Amino acid sequence: MSKKDLTEIRKVENDIYDLLKTVMDPEIELDIINLGLVYNILYDGDNNVRIEMTLSTPACPLGDAITDNVINTIKKKYPDFNVDVDLVFDPPWDASMISEEGRKRLGM
Amino acid sequence: MAKNLHTDNAPAINTVKPHFLFAAIGFLALGILMVLSASNFFEVSYNHHLLAITHTAVLGWLMMLIFGSLYQLIPVIFDTALYSEPLAKFTFWLTAASIVFLVYTFWIGDYTVYLPYAATTMYLSLFFFIFNIMMSYKNARIKNFKSLFILAAVFWLLMAETEGLLTALNFKYNFYSASHLAHLHTHAIMGLVGFFVMMIFGVGTTLIPMFLISHRLNDKLLKISFYLLNFGLAGLVLSKYFVDNQYIIFLFWVVVIAGVIYYFRYIHESYKHRMKKTLDVGMKYTMLSLVFLLAPVVISLILIFLPQTGLKAYAEVIVLLFGLSMIFGFFTTIALGQTYKTLPFIIWLEKYQKLVGKYHTPLPRELYSEKVAGVQFYIYMVFLILTIFAVILQQTMVMQIATVLFLIVSILYNYNVWKMFFHDSDQYINKRDKEILNK
Repeated sequence: MSKKDLTEIRKVENDIYDLLKTVMDPEIELDIINLGLVYNILYDGDNNVRIEMTLSTPACPLGDAITDNVINTIKKKYPDFNVDVDLVFDPPWDASMISEEGRKRLGM
Repeated sequence: MAKNLHTDNAPAINTVKPHFLFAAIGFLALGILMVLSASNFFEVSYNHHLLAITHTAVLGWLMMLIFGSLYQLIPVIFDTALYSEPLAKFTFWLTAASIVFLVYTFWIGDYTVYLPYAATTMYLSLFFFIFNIMMSYKNARIKNFKSLFILAAVFWLLMAETEGLLTALNFKYNFYSASHLAHLHTHAIMGLVGFFVMMIFGVGTTLIPMFLISHRLNDKLLKISFYLLNFGLAGLVLSKYFVDNQYIIFLFWVVVIAGVIYYFRYIHESYKHRMKKTLDVGMKYTMLSLVFLLAPVVISLILIFLPQTGLKAYAEVIVLLFGLSMIFGFFTTIALGQTYKTLPFIIWLEKYQKLVGKYHTPLPRELYSEKVAGVQFYIYMVFLILTIFAVILQQTMVMQIATVLFLIVSILYNYNVWKMFFHDSDQYINKRDKEILNK
């Protein structure tokens, strides 16, 4: 893979990272990036994106809504992308994963 | 497509929704019946209007809300789908018809002609509910103390209902040697503490930490609470049947109270470690309801030692205070709070799940009026205070004012519930699009 390709891949991944800042957890009312729910964003340079993320609780009733939101938000800007959301629960999410900005917004 | 998602087991919205609607109507009916019967609160115990009001509250309002909430939460608590949705739908209609029939028979004071039939249909409908929950538990992938609370609650419901049915049939066939009152006491203890408290505690162990967002809590506290509550209750009911000695009853009641205290400690830990520092209106109701649970705990101790306290003349007032503090202080307060936590999400998921990310969507709490919910909260608190004064001072006038306030609360609650049900997602999105274009 050329250096130029890698730069392009990082650029798309960074862009998706910013896009996911608009995806809210409807209960906590904070975006999933600042909540620390997104563990990894992987773009293969060939229209395939894999989001490795978790939920605040494994049986979160809003799980579908959050993952649908992730897919729809990415597809809105990149309609040709195949978006794969992989939910993982190891490591389990806890409050220490919330960003500084998230803590401020939650009044923690 | 999301992999490893645990929410595929959620029931269809039309399985859950009718329960919330019936509960809202039941709550309104309760308000109307209370205004019509304000003066009956100071008459002899088990006045037929009070029985109609009690059963409207516990069955028409609280039980329906529990049915709907539990069907929605089974996938979360048990990590499996509800055993049978068609059975849940059938149970809803049978329960709804049975509640109307039962409340009507109490309201007209009929204990021999219709009551046995109303009690039998009620028993059957609750039996179907219990069967559905037990079969769901059989398939559960999560079997811990949280799910055991639910299982124990439905067991106590079966016991309470069996006692209720036998008491109702006894009015006609007269096969009990003991008085109706003795059986009504065990029916009430098993129903109110065994079912409602156990069920609320069980659902609360999942919902409260989930809404407060607190993790890694000490499950040992729950375990101890579970054993104490069930051991105490079993002892209480058995000693009521076979011994009826106030010191033994006191001993078992203390065990039940110890179970409540351990549960409080668990919730307190969750509250202390919560991420969401500011409580919304739903959580304010919820946390306050747990504080209010202290009232029936204290009153129950007075009741046990009534002959020695010199308060025997006030027995009926104290029994009434116990019932009111349980039904309105604890159950209704938490039910009002949890409606504002669960129903907006159920409706939001129905209307917006497929639209999120494509359009700007509202937050679940924006589906109802927070202002109305806030006003409702304060009026409800005034209602509780006035009711206590009215009962202690035996003031019919104050009770009348309190019941009118309760009716207002039920109207405001219905306003918000119907507002959520009639929420039009297309209209909301079109309005937002126009606002964005105008900017």
